[in-house]
Amino acid sequence: MSRPIELRLNGRPATIPDVPDDERLLDTLRWRLDLKGTKEGCRTGGCGACTVLVDGRSILACLALTREVEGTAVTTIEGSASDPDLARVRAAFEKVGALQCGYCTPGFVMTLGGLLKEIGRSAPIDQFLRGLDGNLCRCTGYASIVRAVAEMREPGP
Amino acid sequence: MRPSVRPDAAVKLAGKAAYGMDLDAPGMLWGALVTAPVARGRLRSLDLEPAHDLPGVVAIGPDDLPSLLPPSRGEPDRAIFPTEEIAYCRQPLAAVAAPTWAGARRAAAAVRVVVDAEPALVDLESLFPEWPGPDARRSPNVLAYVHAKHGDVEGAFRTADRVVEETYRTAGVHQVALEPHACLASVEDGVWRVRTSTQSPFGVREDVASLLGIPESSLVVEGTWVGGGFGGKGASLVEPYALLLARASGRPVRLALSYREEFELGRTTLPAVIRFSTAVKEGRLAARRVRLLLDGGSSLPGRDFATGYAINFLLGPYRTPAFEVEGYGIRTNKPPFGPHRAPFAPQCAFALESHLDEVARAIEVDPWAFRAAHVWRDGDETPLGQRVGPFGLRAALDAAGELARRWRAEIGPGEGVGIALGFWSTNTGAGGEVRLELAPTELRVVQGEREIGSGSVLAGLAAVAARATGLPPERISIDYGDTSRAPFDSGVYGSRTVGALGRAIVEATASVRRTLAERLRATEPVHLGVDGGEIVAITGTVRRPIRELLRPEERESGLVATGQHYARTGSIDESRVVEGAFYPFTDFTGSAHVAQVAVDRDTGSVTVTRYAAFQDVGVVIDRETARAQVEGAIAMGLGTALTEEAIWSEEGRLENPGLLDYRIPTLGEVPVPEVTLIEGYPGAGPFGAKGLGEPPIIPVPATIAVAVREATGAHVTELPLSAERIVRALKLL
Repeated sequence: MSRPIELRLNGRPATIPDVPDDERLLDTLRWRLDLKGTKEGCRTGGCGACTVLVDGRSILACLALTREVEGTAVTTIEGSASDPDLARVRAAFEKVGALQCGYCTPGFVMTLGGLLKEIGRSAPIDQFLRGLDGNLCRCTGYASIVRAVAEMREPGP
Repeated sequence: MRPSVRPDAAVKLAGKAAYGMDLDAPGMLWGALVTAPVARGRLRSLDLEPAHDLPGVVAIGPDDLPSLLPPSRGEPDRAIFPTEEIAYCRQPLAAVAAPTWAGARRAAAAVRVVVDAEPALVDLESLFPEWPGPDARRSPNVLAYVHAKHGDVEGAFRTADRVVEETYRTAGVHQVALEPHACLASVEDGVWRVRTSTQSPFGVREDVASLLGIPESSLVVEGTWVGGGFGGKGASLVEPYALLLARASGRPVRLALSYREEFELGRTTLPAVIRFSTAVKEGRLAARRVRLLLDGGSSLPGRDFATGYAINFLLGPYRTPAFEVEGYGIRTNKPPFGPHRAPFAPQCAFALESHLDEVARAIEVDPWAFRAAHVWRDGDETPLGQRVGPFGLRAALDAAGELARRWRAEIGPGEGVGIALGFWSTNTGAGGEVRLELAPTELRVVQGEREIGSGSVLAGLAAVAARATGLPPERISIDYGDTSRAPFDSGVYGSRTVGALGRAIVEATASVRRTLAERLRATEPVHLGVDGGEIVAITGTVRRPIRELLRPEERESGLVATGQHYARTGSIDESRVVEGAFYPFTDFTGSAHVAQVAVDRDTGSVTVTRYAAFQDVGVVIDRETARAQVEGAIAMGLGTALTEEAIWSEEGRLENPGLLDYRIPTLGEVPVPEVTLIEGYPGAGPFGAKGLGEPPIIPVPATIAVAVREATGAHVTELPLSAERIVRALKLL
């Protein structure tokens, strides 16, 4: 079975025609909407590369059915520039250079953006770092990501 | 100053970098592999009809190859699809393509594969339960054999004060690049074209052209952004199948491995058994015997290379008056052995460094002092008789020793501090070339590699070009071309990129200067600079814009110069080689690591509380990129040390093909390390740089093992140091 799905996508209303009931949000984003900034890693919830925001909370797009997010506001990395929290994370990652191959990077940005919305910038750094345990990075050894999280918590625009 | 320490930060943070997984094309079909259900057996039948019957499906098997490929091929068909013997579980047997991903998976599942399963050879020790005897190397299951000897080994063992014998075992580990292997292929007008996530576009071209029996000139390989390589994306894997499906269907075909397949049929470091026998006389190493059994999987690319190279790391960077080494590469029913960041060297260093600790303890000498007494210095020779060039390992060891003493003074019960060493070399590979294009306002470095994440291409080569030319980094662009347009390079592997392509840039820069000197009729050296937004050539008091020095035909291309680097240096004393191939090093790169761990004696769980690396780098080309390589390698090494282990069933089926069962380190498990880059011992790269992609992973498992032993007394002789193995070792105390 398939049907159209309505939601807000990166700040704009969107109707996605003919979404099969068993289609994952990850596949809808990447292959129906051409939003390939959301990365496909393991497809089993083990790596965090496909993290997106649904109503401001981070979820794994590989484990969500698209029909489950009907009526919500979905934000992907492509919409991150116009979201102040995500933009803050991106600025910190860019300044510190907290990435190498970059495949996990959108997932880290979305997870941290969701945390910023949930616990605020001044929350203890450990709460942010613990929140990243579901995001795997094989390149950086996390050291530069830890520096970016510290940078992200600095006061400023 | 450039805005980020990573030139690729902005595009990746915007989600705009297109990786192999992200490729698509109008009319594209989705590919999938049909794979062997058992690790060993005879293929009785392969029936593609049920797949053909599904809508829009193209299916190809061994019988289709003659109609898809030129007739001139020799034997390679069996390397594409086996027709009789199955060599490993999940070996590709056929391939399908369909209009949707789900359709392709359904079609793959519909293919009827009938096999007569046979008992698989999985445990490499089962073939030679006692250890291979003198005739073993003629066994068809011995893929490689190397043997080297020097000095009076027998005499030294006879007169030794003490002989220490030990056996170590190491596990198979996966690269776990987060992006699976993925490519998009098309065949049009006789041109075979594949865009792929690879560490080596030219390597893929060579592999695939030879496999398919097509001329290299008719195959174009274009690299994409790469979501992690670590050795796993050096050779071709999915590309030949995608190209064949594109040929058969007449449509573009995307073929990506599932993450499960990534584990099951990816090629990586496999298990090994290592035996040491060490003779000590008057507190010094007198002679060493080392024997290695290396699991080669179903084939060992390069034959002797893996075993012969490994031997170096089992002897280590230590003076050895007499030694004998023997290494076997054993065929098993696993995917072929493949490279994984510093292939097999971390496992060798783990075994050797743990063993040296044991030897030092046996003769009641401080392990640090024991290493310091034996470690190579400039001018020493390697066991195989190569002169050791500038080598910063002794300096690294001194610094590590000082830090370890400080940490030891601060630790509590259940904690320990370990030091271990490693060494490596800047490989040249099969060489490489660059083309410089000096235009009026920018210098373009045209070359054949994509950035795989290490920073070696976009940050490293840009820094080399800036240093070589004197131009500011914002005037330099690193341009990439596919294999039909870019100069040859052998690939981003072997810690070679900055070394080889950097040397090529230096050579090309000299050529640019010579040309400019001729055109300026200069009597003094020519330098480059920037004046009012334009690049200028400067000689003596003369400053001329490049614009004015270009010939009419250079208006588009700029002033073009090429540089290449194919040199290999160093030689070994062949009289020490009894059999097999051993290779000299290009240079010598040392690493000394210090770890502080806390071990829970009840559960065996290890917490790495502090970590420091002292890394010999020759000269720093780009400080942030260098530090990032060391930090990343440490985390990867911690996985090899503590949790990562490929587990095969007795039938040869991989039992943990996923990230939930094969555990790589998470953020909370990796401390932010202290990284010290040691300069002053120049290597083979530009300006004396040494390759850095691999060296910093090598000492990590060893350092953790030595620290765990100091914390608890547990002497674990197997990798990984899982909680279970630590508890078992503690019970033996």
